[in-house]
Amino acid sequence: MRKFRYLIYKDYLLLKRDVAGLLLMFLMPIVLVILMTLLQESTFRAITDASVPLILINKDKGELGKAIDKELELSGVFKIDRQIDGKVPTLQELEREIASSKYTLGILIPENTTENIQKNVARYVLATFSGAMELPAMDSVGFVIYVDPTTKASFYTTIMSTLKEKTQKIEFDYILKEITRQVNEISPISISTAGFAGQQVYIDIRDAQLEGKDMVPNPVQHNVPAWSLFAIFFIVISLSGSIIRERQDGSFSRLLTMPCSYTEYLLSKAIVFTLVSLIQFGLMLLIGVYILPLFGTESLNLGSSPLALILLGLSAALAAIGYGIAIGNIADTSHQSAVFGAISIVIMAAIGGVWIPTFIMSDTLRTIGMFSPMHWGLSGFLEIFMLDAGVKAILPESGMMILFGLVCFIIALAFNYRRRLDV
Amino acid sequence: MGNTYAIETRDLKKTYKGKAHPTLNGLSLRIPYGSLFGLLAPNGAGKTTAINIICGLRKYDSGEVLVDGHSLADGMKSIKPLFGLVPQDIALFPTMTAYENLKILGGLYGIQKSLLEKRINELLELFDLSASRHSYINRFSGGMKRRVNLIAGMLHAPKILILDEPTVGVDAQSRRLILEKLVDINRSGTTILFISHYLEEAEQICTEVAFMDNGSVICQGPPSDLRDIYKSCDSMESMYLLLTGKRMRDNQ
Repeated sequence: MRKFRYLIYKDYLLLKRDVAGLLLMFLMPIVLVILMTLLQESTFRAITDASVPLILINKDKGELGKAIDKELELSGVFKIDRQIDGKVPTLQELEREIASSKYTLGILIPENTTENIQKNVARYVLATFSGAMELPAMDSVGFVIYVDPTTKASFYTTIMSTLKEKTQKIEFDYILKEITRQVNEISPISISTAGFAGQQVYIDIRDAQLEGKDMVPNPVQHNVPAWSLFAIFFIVISLSGSIIRERQDGSFSRLLTMPCSYTEYLLSKAIVFTLVSLIQFGLMLLIGVYILPLFGTESLNLGSSPLALILLGLSAALAAIGYGIAIGNIADTSHQSAVFGAISIVIMAAIGGVWIPTFIMSDTLRTIGMFSPMHWGLSGFLEIFMLDAGVKAILPESGMMILFGLVCFIIALAFNYRRRLDV
Repeated sequence: MGNTYAIETRDLKKTYKGKAHPTLNGLSLRIPYGSLFGLLAPNGAGKTTAINIICGLRKYDSGEVLVDGHSLADGMKSIKPLFGLVPQDIALFPTMTAYENLKILGGLYGIQKSLLEKRINELLELFDLSASRHSYINRFSGGMKRRVNLIAGMLHAPKILILDEPTVGVDAQSRRLILEKLVDINRSGTTILFISHYLEEAEQICTEVAFMDNGSVICQGPPSDLRDIYKSCDSMESMYLLLTGKRMRDNQ
């Protein structure tokens, strides 16, 4: 055991003096997690906080104008101005403001709109009840809407349909109310539509959920575990590099001529790098909980099972260490291991959903991503953070990562045996 | 113990995969206890393979290897503490100090902490490195690195010391110091297997030498005896060229 402590001390000193490796393992993921979270957060905010600038000129003194004004305000979609430089604009001024793109939309509700609708409804009801064969002439009721010509077609369609939906609902409510009033004037029995909401068909829109809870992570929930896994896997560069350097400078051979077995040699590296991984992981979680909220993001909720978190972190570390040891034994030079290690990790991260969450990937990419150890890890962490999962729930992900590490370790042993036997 | 030889190989054979000719072709080498034994061979003759097999770093196809009477076939556990290897490469950790390197390597031999400290101090003093004990290896000169490399193989006071070209690339002062100390160490009872391309070094310090070529020993004995046999050769170098030929061996 005392001898083994010297091996661990050796690997600790080698790591401590590897400044580039330490920067790669600690500084890079810290910068990435903060930067990527903030970038995604600001994009998210830009979409959700967006409001369409609109000028509303309401010349109608009746109920319809007031109702439309109120509905547009309540929709939250529009930032409404009613005056420009302290006065109500004319139609020409309205057009000029929209054409110069200061506003996206301009709406004019003409004078007497409510009154004209009332008159039209009264004529219609009267004609209907008097048995007239032809409908009477109606006063025209129309809004003027100006739209910024640079507005994208898709955005224009969305805005116009929203606007139409709102005005038609108000118009319908108002017409129903007017018909009721007119009918009550000529009918001996009083009727009421107060309890009639008008909307009979409900479209229930829901977010897709897994086991009753929302599985679309926010930027913090996604980025903290994603970049933690990326950081853990990046130890591969330092680990494989140290194995190759020791093999090339002869110190590995010297160690094997000492009372020290190959298993002890690898175990020492595994212990040191497991500790590094757990420190990286802890650091990233702390950033998610305490540092990111300082930049205005949500704080990371760590779930309720610390044991599940540790198990998953440990499994990810074992997967990365196994992979690092395998590369260290397969590659002939540090350059080979650094290039292959870095590229393979970036690919694993890309398909595993570290860069871009898997839920926005195509089906094909999502299927390919299922083979990435980082995907297993990320799924496990999301279960803990979002579904409050415990140890039992993350056992499949944890098991897959441990198995991956084990397979890599066996490959490393086979390559080392072959090297000693024949090279 | 009953055995006469510190290291003995019997009909040792090794052919690397894809090679037409065996690297070791029935190597039978006998290194007596207490000798300072020089193994001299041209490039590609198989001496590094032989050393690696003796140290347990390579597998062999057939034959037998005995170190202090222990067969390699029975495992390396009882053999490892008996010898110290000083490889041709500077097998040290360059980002550590000389002291840190020696502390770790000595610790791996299981030497008690206080004894290890004493041993490190003695050997650093012996090889004139005390003042540089806390300097990093990657800032050492070639000669200083060689000397620390040598100390690392001797920390546990092994019965057998195996040196693969210990003076390559060092200046005359360091070379003289290393050779002097090796003779002293040998006189104190340590068997030394010394591999070198510098034939005059072997002639100067070895009590026995073996010439090796094409994977087997072609001639072995004390330098004085060999000079009696090959009277026409006025130096070890001419004897070496007579026995191994003048053909270049670069591609072997």
